Amino acid sequence: MAYAQIERPAWIKKRLVADKAISGIRAILAESGLKTVCGASLCPNQNECLSKGQATFLLLGDACTRSCGFCSVKNGPTAHELDVEEPDRIADAVGKMGLRYVVLTSVTRDDLADGGAGEFAKTVRCVKRIRPEIKVEVLTPDFKGSPDAIRAVVESGPDVFGHNIETVKRLYSAARRGSKYRRSLKLLKYVKKVKGSQLTKSSIMVGLGEDPRDLSSTIRDLKDAGCDILTIGQYLRPLQDNLPVRRYVPPEEFDRYKEMALSAGFKHVLAGPFVRSSYLAEEAYLAAVGEV
Amino acid sequence: MTEVKLPPIAEGIDKASISYWHHAAGDSIKEGEDLVELVTDKATFNLPAPASGVLKDVAAAEGDEVKVGQVLAKIE
Repeated sequence: MAYAQIERPAWIKKRLVADKAISGIRAILAESGLKTVCGASLCPNQNECLSKGQATFLLLGDACTRSCGFCSVKNGPTAHELDVEEPDRIADAVGKMGLRYVVLTSVTRDDLADGGAGEFAKTVRCVKRIRPEIKVEVLTPDFKGSPDAIRAVVESGPDVFGHNIETVKRLYSAARRGSKYRRSLKLLKYVKKVKGSQLTKSSIMVGLGEDPRDLSSTIRDLKDAGCDILTIGQYLRPLQDNLPVRRYVPPEEFDRYKEMALSAGFKHVLAGPFVRSSYLAEEAYLAAVGEV
Repeated sequence: MTEVKLPPIAEGIDKASISYWHHAAGDSIKEGEDLVELVTDKATFNLPAPASGVLKDVAAAEGDEVKVGQVLAKIE
């Protein structure tokens, strides 16, 4: 089903970076056969991020066992094989690309007993083995709330543990079929229980039909779950069959949300129309640990 | 002479529609200035001029769908 779309305002405009360095990075990614969420989600920030040597690797295949209304990642069969060489191939590509900061995310794999947590953990360790000073951020699915799965990922030593709440409580069942608002909050809380010093991160999309009170309450819920870093960005419909954009939030409103979240006590907040959970991830990490 | 091609916008996106030319054939432009505005399902992009010079041979009109790698114009 295709939804009608409201008119796109002038601020939803990116400059296309046509940097020669991008083609080199694209070539390494193509040769490796690895997937990025940048590509799978048709992210408009891709060229900008690649020109800074930043990419977010998509683990566990390119077919997801859930089908969130906002997402363009394809929904696939529930039992595709794991690529056991993927952790090493990602580490190899990270080395070739000379990355300092790596984000690892995945499709949701409800068909796997551990939800793919073991592969996250292996990949974090493989990347750290290339150069221990490389910072690794994971952005995980909810692993159906499994404490063992969450613990396995935390114990592999990521520098940032991210899990996106994505939208406000009121819109959860419509936008994230198969996911639960409270389960996502519990996951973030449990990460801190396993390792109190673990930096945690989450992200909210706006423009799906939430109001400022909804957002304020989700910001508070995330803070209560111990979340350290928050990103807030405009939902942009990737394909015609995805949920419609209900509203384009003006840049000054993002500034207010940022202030609201900083007042709530987040260590770092990035908010703006083109902000995505992995956008400027290294800068957000450095700001949160006080190195900038 | 420099060809203005549609660069890769994003993995998974192989085409865009031209919504607006900021300059017309015969205009003098500087490298880095916004040259043409392109629209995809997800966002709107401005393509900067890859070189300074006079815009020539504009090969795609507003409303046209263009493919990645396609020559849109020349700058001489």
